Amino acid sequence: MGNCFSNDAGAMSAVGGTAASHANPYDAPNDAVDLFLRSRGYNGLFSQIEISLAAVDLRDRDVLSKSDPMVVIYTKGRDGGLSELGRTEVVLNSLNPKWITKQNITYHFEVVQTLVFRVYDIDTQFHNSEVKMLKLEEQQFLGEATCVLSEIISKSDRLLTLNLEYREELGRPNPHRDCGKLIVHAEESFSSKTAIEMSLRCSDLEYKDLFSKSDPFLVISKVAESGITIPICKTEVIKNDLKPLWKPVYLNIQQVGSKDSPLIMECFNFNNNGKHDLIGKVQKSLADLEKLHDSRQGEHLFLPTAVGHDFHNKVLKSQLFVDKFTETVQHTFLDYLAGGCELNFMVAVDFTASNGNPRLPDSLHYIDPTGRPNAYQRAIIDVVEVLQFYDSDKRFPAWGFGARPIDGPVSHCFNLNGSSHHCEVEGIQGIMMAYASALQNVSLAGPTLFGPVITNAAFNASQSLANGGRKYFVLLIITDGVVTDLQETKDALVKASDLPLSILIVGVGGADFKEMEILDADKGERLESSTGRVASRDIVQFVPFRDVQSGEISVVQALLAELPAQFLTYMRSRDVKPIL
Amino acid sequence: MAANSRTLEIKVISAENLQLDRKPIKKNASVTVRTDTNSQFRTTDMDTEGGAYPRWNETLVLDLPTHSKSITVEVQCKTSSSVRTIGTATIPASDFVGGYVPEGYLHFLSYRLRDHKGERNGIINISVSMEAQKMYAYASSTTWSHSTMGFPAIGNKSFGSGVVTGVPVWYGVYQKDY
Repeated sequence: MGNCFSNDAGAMSAVGGTAASHANPYDAPNDAVDLFLRSRGYNGLFSQIEISLAAVDLRDRDVLSKSDPMVVIYTKGRDGGLSELGRTEVVLNSLNPKWITKQNITYHFEVVQTLVFRVYDIDTQFHNSEVKMLKLEEQQFLGEATCVLSEIISKSDRLLTLNLEYREELGRPNPHRDCGKLIVHAEESFSSKTAIEMSLRCSDLEYKDLFSKSDPFLVISKVAESGITIPICKTEVIKNDLKPLWKPVYLNIQQVGSKDSPLIMECFNFNNNGKHDLIGKVQKSLADLEKLHDSRQGEHLFLPTAVGHDFHNKVLKSQLFVDKFTETVQHTFLDYLAGGCELNFMVAVDFTASNGNPRLPDSLHYIDPTGRPNAYQRAIIDVVEVLQFYDSDKRFPAWGFGARPIDGPVSHCFNLNGSSHHCEVEGIQGIMMAYASALQNVSLAGPTLFGPVITNAAFNASQSLANGGRKYFVLLIITDGVVTDLQETKDALVKASDLPLSILIVGVGGADFKEMEILDADKGERLESSTGRVASRDIVQFVPFRDVQSGEISVVQALLAELPAQFLTYMRSRDVKPIL
Repeated sequence: MAANSRTLEIKVISAENLQLDRKPIKKNASVTVRTDTNSQFRTTDMDTEGGAYPRWNETLVLDLPTHSKSITVEVQCKTSSSVRTIGTATIPASDFVGGYVPEGYLHFLSYRLRDHKGERNGIINISVSMEAQKMYAYASSTTWSHSTMGFPAIGNKSFGSGVVTGVPVWYGVYQKDY
């Protein structure tokens, strides 16, 4: 990472392993490390899921004995292409097998992860071969099932039963053939949840400063597969101390990889000019550190020193001690889902005149007769596609703003379904139908005000709280223009920041959305209302909608990656525990 | 009929960017919470380590009289010579009582602190919960609108622009609406 520490008080403080960042690990100010990891393909904080499979009533293909089934699991990309994830073992002679081999898959909240399961009957002659080597064309195909990972995960028992289908000809399923059922069970791997608290201390450190003792701090890094070291956290700097005892460091086992992953602990001497001297280092895994703690012994630091062309590791007198080592289990996002929490989706659509006349093809609201979705429809689909599995009743409040209903004044929050009593629609289809009919029944007007819509959403969220719900609300606002009531919007957002609500704002069309970025605290400061109250959480994210989709997720879906973190911050800060 | 006072639990969590004479403070910040009738106040311990970003995580318990409209939060710093006020914020009672959230809800609130000249000086982060009462008194408005009646903020007399606080939410006359 280099010497990128700066000179002010922030530089001397602990980063990444503090109690505060432990309570809200996603909020830890570690952008540089985040970017570093992302650029190398380690995306965000995710969960490892283990999938176990069983089947009932499989078809009997063998003449003298029962089938010998095996499952091959694929992930299906957006383009429909399948890529193999893994295979189970072969269970001999059974039509109701329970496979032991578990598949590991990384769960990404914001991606629609489609899984395809294909069951094969393995011919006797191959029974002694390695499962990996089996050629599937030579086996008997028994049936196929498809599902989305979030479907399984969002159920409280994490169990999904799928009907196996048999397609005799390409693409045509044969519904009369009873192929049996596949039972899929998902479990979050334990390492995702375990956090470790350590108190580290050093003794007999060497003098590095000229007139005073060293100012030591520790940097803990993990060693990636490629051999490069990635810093995970650093402790605070203790001035003028050769026997430093740092504040406790909190690490999530997932950050590190596993308890046995090698970690490098480097002790540096802090220098104001940013060039910190390495006093010594130690390479240990978390399991080793635990042993060190139990044995109450120290580990000598070593310093790589140049001897001619070689580097020798000079063992120093200085030692590292682990005074405290405790493991705790934290509830994860999936625990909360299993414990009855759900995400409720709400949408608000901009019907201001700047969108253009919906009957003309250049309008952002133009509904293409060929079925190609417009920007509004695409943004809605992108978000609902992911969120629908987490909403148990699939009834979504849907509003429009900035338009004049047939005979009435301009409304800044009207029900998209045209009703005056309730605002909900059913499923994605319901939203699309309400949207299309609203376009015909209102006349676009203006100005672009968010205040009423946000206030309404906040009202829904607080009512749900009063009814004892364990729901977290997500409001999607799709707009083509810059908001005109910026202060009222800020006021509404500040009020809503205390509620279980997150807001995604998507900007469509070609307007300059620079001003909207103020609402997203990631890019600016905390929002302040006109009464001096400040938003207690950052609940808004803004993204301009881009037509181009690179990879598996759209720009809008990338925003969704932040949602589990916002959800957890809310739950953990209020000490809400999942009902398990 | 509402009781004469209700128990208010305020956890003073942290503050950000506190300055004295345009320089970040080094240590010894503490917070005093007062009711607007000045009948009660409580003070946290001093924070010695956080400097301009102190962290207390200390819970203060106050009895808030029924007719109270707000509470005041004041951040002070003990220097070698004296105790100086860094800034104050006035929290209208409507921010943590009434509305549609359930009684006893843990509110996480943050406020802009302003010094004696009315200039901005940092942010204070607190959490507040009000003890649940047997007889409720909710605001009877059915629309979720911003309060438009205002009273000048108590305690910040030098405020040029004037801060609007909400209408006090519970009186004997208001009734549970549904």
